[in-house]
Amino acid sequence: MKSTRPLMAAIALTAALSAAGILSARAANVIDDWANIQAAPPPTLQPVTVDAKTTALLMLDFLHSNCNSEHGKRCIASLPIAKKLLDEARANHLLVVYSAYGKNTEKDIWDQVAPTGGEPFVVSFLDKFIGTDLNKILKDKGIKTVIVVGSAANGAAFGTASGAAQRGYSVIVPVDGISSDNLFAEQSAVWNMANAPVISSKITLTTVDMMKF
Amino acid sequence: MRQSWLVCGIGILAAALLSGATPPAARAANVIDDWANIKAAPPPALQSVTVDPKTTALLMLDFTHPICNEKTKPRCVASLPAMKKLLAEARDNHVMVVFSTAGNQTPKDIWADIAPAPGEPVVNSHANKFQNTDLEKILKDKGIKTVIVTGVNANGAVLYTASEAAFLGFKVIDPINGSSAENEYIEQYVVYNFAHAPLISSMVTLTTSDMIKF
Repeated sequence: MKSTRPLMAAIALTAALSAAGILSARAANVIDDWANIQAAPPPTLQPVTVDAKTTALLMLDFLHSNCNSEHGKRCIASLPIAKKLLDEARANHLLVVYSAYGKNTEKDIWDQVAPTGGEPFVVSFLDKFIGTDLNKILKDKGIKTVIVVGSAANGAAFGTASGAAQRGYSVIVPVDGISSDNLFAEQSAVWNMANAPVISSKITLTTVDMMKF
Repeated sequence: MRQSWLVCGIGILAAALLSGATPPAARAANVIDDWANIKAAPPPALQSVTVDPKTTALLMLDFTHPICNEKTKPRCVASLPAMKKLLAEARDNHVMVVFSTAGNQTPKDIWADIAPAPGEPVVNSHANKFQNTDLEKILKDKGIKTVIVTGVNANGAVLYTASEAAFLGFKVIDPINGSSAENEYIEQYVVYNFAHAPLISSMVTLTTSDMIKF
């Protein structure tokens, strides 16, 4: 019994220090601790009712070059979901804006989620507000809220959702409409949108089926 | 035998269909449903860095008492001695240093150990410190091509300022022991994002403050 006392005292001390937050200071950097780090709890999804007049749907980078069976399987799996959302948005006369990156054009977008005549299309990397007139396109139509879907979750979707939030838009992100074949990257993009300083206050996470028009 | 070949053939065909040769009908689950089963990707490698003092600036973001304190961000307070050392080395080598604050904070809210010296610029903005400030001009006027980004929050000022710097064409050095958040999960995915996110990853070098040489 005696010999367990120091151990018990050490455990009690450790618990007390942990509770005081003292042990959470870094002993090592995050790379050293990597394998022991647990994901934070998942964010809560919310039902959303969309105001058709002031909301735009952003369909980001649903391109054959990044959304394919080699390195975009989850993106391909999200296409029917994105198409359902697109059909609902068009039926409710929402503004729909499409994007690509690099040298891709509108023709590189998957047919089932491709723009029809007159729907705006912008080209940029990641944050589609940078180097495009996306902000003007939205402001000219009185848009206050954007729905963001596309790939990659940690690229165009995260970059553009963050860019929109920082420009004062409310942002709706159906998590089943954004994707990355790297699940850790998709998970962290979703968690960050729900928790990052400044932007998270503007972002609502949902699913396509939880959205009403 | 014939029958088994037929079954085998159907099996191969089904496997080919399911494996993504054609689009699967729908995703079985979303990332929230899969949450508990997702494992961290492998850690990125850290690199030693030698910086050019003439074209490099050190950004020290939001090391202010309201953001960086024992109560809410003990990991930030723990990073201060290493940041003080890095700041001293940068000044010794005449590297430009820029500070930031957020919200209604002033330069007086920055920890005294690493506070701006007279003449060192301080910008004020949320998250992305290039937004609504003249940070880009401050850097470009001095011919800066590379920024060392340190600060808190890792998923706020550091993530968004480093990302914007990369968008604007600056090379970014991230000493990971200088980017802190309220928990290690945040720091982990920010570091991972710098190493793997499209475009940004090609502009960011991950290191530690001790691995930076001037």
